Amino acid sequence: MTLNKTLTISYYTFKEIWKSKILLNVFFVGIGLMIVTYVATEFTYGVPERVALDFGLGMLSLSSLAISLFLGVGLLSKEIESRTVYMVIARPVPRYSFILGKLIGLMGIQAVNVIILSLMTMTATKFLGGEINGLILWAIGFIFLESLMLLLVVVLLSLLANNILSVLFSLVLLLLGHVIKDTQEISFVKSNPLVVKILEAYHFVLPAFYKLNLKDFVIYKNELPLSYLAGNFTYAILYSGFLLLVVVFLFQRKNLD
Amino acid sequence: MIHFREITKIFRSELLGQPFTALSNVSFEVPEGSMVGFLGANGAGKTTSLKIIMDFIRPTSGNVEFSSALGSNRQEIFRNIGFLPERPYFYQNLTGHEFLSFMGKLTDLDTKTIEDRVRLWAPRFKIDHALPRELKTYSKGMLQRIGFLATILHEPKIIILDEPLSGLDPIGRKELKDVIVEVHKAGKTVFFSSHIVPDIEEICDRVIFLKNGNLAYDGSVSALMKQAKVQDFIMTVVAPGEIPSTIKLKERLDLPESLTRFTVTPENKDVLLNHLVTNKKSIVSLEMMKPSLEEIFYNTRGTHDPQ
Ligand SMILES: Nc1ncnc2c1ncn2[C@@H]1O[C@H](COP(=O)(O)OP(=O)(O)O)[C@@H](O)[C@H]1O
Ligand SMILES: [Mg+2]
Repeated sequence: MTLNKTLTISYYTFKEIWKSKILLNVFFVGIGLMIVTYVATEFTYGVPERVALDFGLGMLSLSSLAISLFLGVGLLSKEIESRTVYMVIARPVPRYSFILGKLIGLMGIQAVNVIILSLMTMTATKFLGGEINGLILWAIGFIFLESLMLLLVVVLLSLLANNILSVLFSLVLLLLGHVIKDTQEISFVKSNPLVVKILEAYHFVLPAFYKLNLKDFVIYKNELPLSYLAGNFTYAILYSGFLLLVVVFLFQRKNLD
Repeated sequence: MIHFREITKIFRSELLGQPFTALSNVSFEVPEGSMVGFLGANGAGKTTSLKIIMDFIRPTSGNVEFSSALGSNRQEIFRNIGFLPERPYFYQNLTGHEFLSFMGKLTDLDTKTIEDRVRLWAPRFKIDHALPRELKTYSKGMLQRIGFLATILHEPKIIILDEPLSGLDPIGRKELKDVIVEVHKAGKTVFFSSHIVPDIEEICDRVIFLKNGNLAYDGSVSALMKQAKVQDFIMTVVAPGEIPSTIKLKERLDLPESLTRFTVTPENKDVLLNHLVTNKKSIVSLEMMKPSLEEIFYNTRGTHDPQ
């Protein structure tokens, strides 16, 4: 019963965003990608297929993060502002079901975006003589996970702060979550056990987005140890689960006015 | 059906700002089968009360009790409530039809039932032709009507409407009032808020009146009107000429096209009428003034001055 309603909410959330034609932008990004790839291959020496892949994955990652950030911040706050949420939760629908439905609906949009752009990227790469290996698929999957994690971060913050602050904080967390990796490599940090501990603790509290970034590896390598991939995959799932619990908890208690 | 019990709601604004008491110890009941008007000026606390009933926000103290006729758990109770928020604003990119299916499915209706009921009601609300269109193309009145349709689609036992008539033109108001009356006659309990006295007077048998977050009146509509003590008459006359000063006028307003509008108290109404008739003046209209919310506001006893 409740699962059905969650999926109903997802379906109409997907439909509502889909019909807002936001994905049209994605399509234009895709076209732009083709053009830039073409131009780049004309002007770079050496490895045009790498340019295509690099650029394609970059665009894919940017657009999914942007969708998470900008559609995610309004996912609940816009519903509350425009009172559409009242139409839904005035019915026999538990609040957690509402929020799950919204999240799944938006992730559906996210999936369409990822599929379109990665097909375009892989086609361009293949066309230019590059090779599609398993690592590219992992990289794409990880981009999807990264956007899921960012979505949950921004939704969580939007339950606590206004939209502008939520987007800003999320961006800060996104950047921190990436630079923390390089920080760990600094020799001063390595020689200081306390700082090492603090950085380790960071992963448990704040999102370590760098774990989901395989772009650099993809360009220069063909494979990574499965344990590394599986470890980071597990991290992303567990951390997202944790964020989801917090989001549900906060929304359950929130005054919707 | 709904028992609002000793509810206080204090809004604590973020950071600075003082706490604001939107409702102080308000109690009332919406009896089964009744048509209850929820009257109050803007900011009186009507929407806040309805949000508390719907569990969108929580009261600072007090509680809301639903009678067993509505059900024994939250799911059952909410299946038997139809709620229409104030100035509802819908998913812009869904069509009217998609929106109604969405709302129907959330109240456990199957597709066939939804289709049947939409086919039954949509023409009644004059939105059948617009159902394939996206909601962003709807006028305000159409949105209000489709919102109302969504509210009764699952045949709830009680419908709760927040300012359902505001923003509608006179014809739209009349039409919606007619449907509300019809739905009530079909056995549904109706509870709706309004800041417009005549709307409530016209169709409600009972009124709950909020004044600055306090319960100012709870009882029959006619008794409230009597309390208001405003029953002046308005008379529009063609070229009445001078009126002898023995006839006390509350107000005289000369209008274009040699019309004049008099306001008189009930005691002076017949005297003025006699004078006009004996002088062969043509009377265009005569009506009893409906008290406005302000007049009721200042005249309801048992309450303190506003502010
Ligand atoms: N979230 C809130 N924070 C602070 N004050 C609020 C909040 N919501 C409503 N109020 C105040 O409570 C009072 C009652 O509001 P409301 O219930 O919307 O009135 P009504 O529906 O009768 O016009 C108003 O003065 C309003 O400003
Ligand atoms: Mg209101």
